[in-house]
Amino acid sequence: VKLTVDGAACMGHGRCYQLAPQLLSCDDEGYVTVRDQTIEVPADQATAAEEAAGTCPEEAIILMPE
Amino acid sequence: LETASQPAGTAGREPGGCPVIHEDFSPLRQAGFHWQWADELREGSPLYFNRFAQGYWVFTRHDAVRDMYKNPQIFSSESITPWEPNPIYRFVPTQIDAPDHITYRRIVNTWFSPRAVERADQTIRGICRSLVERVAPAGACDFVAEFALRFPTEVFLNFIGVDTAVTDQFVRWVADFFKGFSGDPAGLEPMTQALEGIRQFWIAALEERRGEAAPRDGDLASHLMHATFDDRLLTDDEVLAMLTVLVLAGLDTTRAQLGYLFRHLATHPGDRAAIIADPLLIPSAVEESLRFYTIIFGDGRKVTQDTEFHGAQLKKGDMVYGLVSGANRDPRAYERAGEFILGRKRNHHFGFAGGPHRCLGAHLARREMQVGVEEWLRLIPDFRIAADGDLAERGGGAMMTLMTLPLAWEVAR
Repeated sequence: VKLTVDGAACMGHGRCYQLAPQLLSCDDEGYVTVRDQTIEVPADQATAAEEAAGTCPEEAIILMPE
Repeated sequence: LETASQPAGTAGREPGGCPVIHEDFSPLRQAGFHWQWADELREGSPLYFNRFAQGYWVFTRHDAVRDMYKNPQIFSSESITPWEPNPIYRFVPTQIDAPDHITYRRIVNTWFSPRAVERADQTIRGICRSLVERVAPAGACDFVAEFALRFPTEVFLNFIGVDTAVTDQFVRWVADFFKGFSGDPAGLEPMTQALEGIRQFWIAALEERRGEAAPRDGDLASHLMHATFDDRLLTDDEVLAMLTVLVLAGLDTTRAQLGYLFRHLATHPGDRAAIIADPLLIPSAVEESLRFYTIIFGDGRKVTQDTEFHGAQLKKGDMVYGLVSGANRDPRAYERAGEFILGRKRNHHFGFAGGPHRCLGAHLARREMQVGVEEWLRLIPDFRIAADGDLAERGGGAMMTLMTLPLAWEVAR
């Protein structure tokens, strides 16, 4: 699974990196760091990635199955 | 005069078939009333026209509230109170739209970031612990007056570098401001005086700091005086508008959310025991309280252009109200929406609003609530509501909050 974040949509709620701390982190302002990037989700982080995507109020996190 | 409508132009509006209501959301009610009301409104219709004040649209479901927040170019924050399209205050960056909004916002984002909150953790914990230690031996307290009002206020003043000796004065100003925010005409005078009091406090603070070569460490007012908007320094008016809204938003909201969370813990011993057994559940309890017990009845915006939106023919100048309480409990968006679920994962609530105006203090508020639960349960693991009869909550015109929460617990003698 790949994960991408719509950078314009991320508003820095901080819920994704709270739920998936081993996958996502924040910058100095509280926005997720991987905005407008696509990252590979390790198998052991698949559940965390789904939780992060499901909890984003802006629906900014998109998961793409391979 | 073409189709552009004045702010008051909705008074005679034919709302196009949606249900018309005439509701004042500001009066004091029984605790929990507003969420029940939001549930009824949401299940009755996705859209209403409320003929209260000059008249405004009410969107009750999650999809419309989400889309209101996601489209700030249509839904301006010039006014966030739909019953008052032209308020006497103009908060920065709260009531500023793009493109200037993000420039202001970036000046304060770092100050309130997760990392800044992490650095303050021990201070927050220390303030909390001493307040809990003070009330614990009594076996009873009014949680609102003795803990929920004081804890976030002391933390917040500390966090922005203000002497906590002024805590009581700030608590009074904030209470008076919210008397008028809800649209109650009798509250206009106390609101005006509170705004003036806060303004004079900050004017004096700015004078004391003027001419200093470098920003004072840990002092937000000083930080703002040295901050730049593009290439110029902020004006005094901008700094004052920013400091004022931070105080109003930072003190009242967290006490309100703490009150509802602790009312839940007092009345749900199973959830309390689960949290004590597994403290890793605390962040999810906080998040679920922000959804299920949201203090935001609704959030207002001003329409910038004629458009159709979720079944309403909006005109420029119309006011809309996104019923956050309805959205957060919408069964179309949440499984078991009407239950408090400890450990809920998919929790995309709007308890901190959404879009570019997402609550600046969200990270601080979450930490305060988490620490509040941890430190309280450490000393007072078992407690109940001591009151006979019903608790009252402030109306949803402002943000809901419990007026009192009498708690009691056993004390070893």
